Amino acid sequence: MDPQAETVPNGRSTGNGGRTLGERVDRYNDTAQQAWEATRNAVSDLRGTLDIDGRVQRNPYGTIAAALGIGYVLGGGLFSPLTGRVVGLGLRIGLRLAVLPLLKRELSDLAQAFEEGTGEQGAKGRRTRANVNKEK
Amino acid sequence: MNVNNVTHEIEERAHALSARVRPQVREARQKLESVGETVTEYIKDNPAKCLVGAIALGYIVGKIARR
Repeated sequence: MDPQAETVPNGRSTGNGGRTLGERVDRYNDTAQQAWEATRNAVSDLRGTLDIDGRVQRNPYGTIAAALGIGYVLGGGLFSPLTGRVVGLGLRIGLRLAVLPLLKRELSDLAQAFEEGTGEQGAKGRRTRANVNKEK
Repeated sequence: MNVNNVTHEIEERAHALSARVRPQVREARQKLESVGETVTEYIKDNPAKCLVGAIALGYIVGKIARR
């Protein structure tokens, strides 16, 4: 079989079930339109499923921040030194904010217990001295 | 000049400064609120555009951070 017969570039029919250039262009056009429709449907379905419009209406800044985060992760910034630094700083601040009140409470409990202990001891001491005076 | 006079003078100056700065702060706050409302309205009117833009911006920042 002649290989030239199937690859005639001028749009003539090859006579072997081949198509003209116009038909090919039409076919590509149809395929592109189908792909575009499929993409639009997919995007529309995704928007409906995720309720993106509703989310944007309810919390516009949060949605934009989430989109920024998604883009950041897609851009490969997740395992970067910048992320490490930001996460480390956040953890440090969070730990301080969480631990400081806890430490404060523990210290105040300790101080209160110490005060009560010394108060009781003082009272004991006063009682003992009073007994000694009575005996005298 | 005794301490009371100095204290009084400082107090007066602080009041004058506060009176001068307060309207500017109020105006700046109103402007910021106005800008915030405009941005919110824009995002609500064009959600897809804003989301795609935000993803693209995040992508670029991620690429830069990766280097």
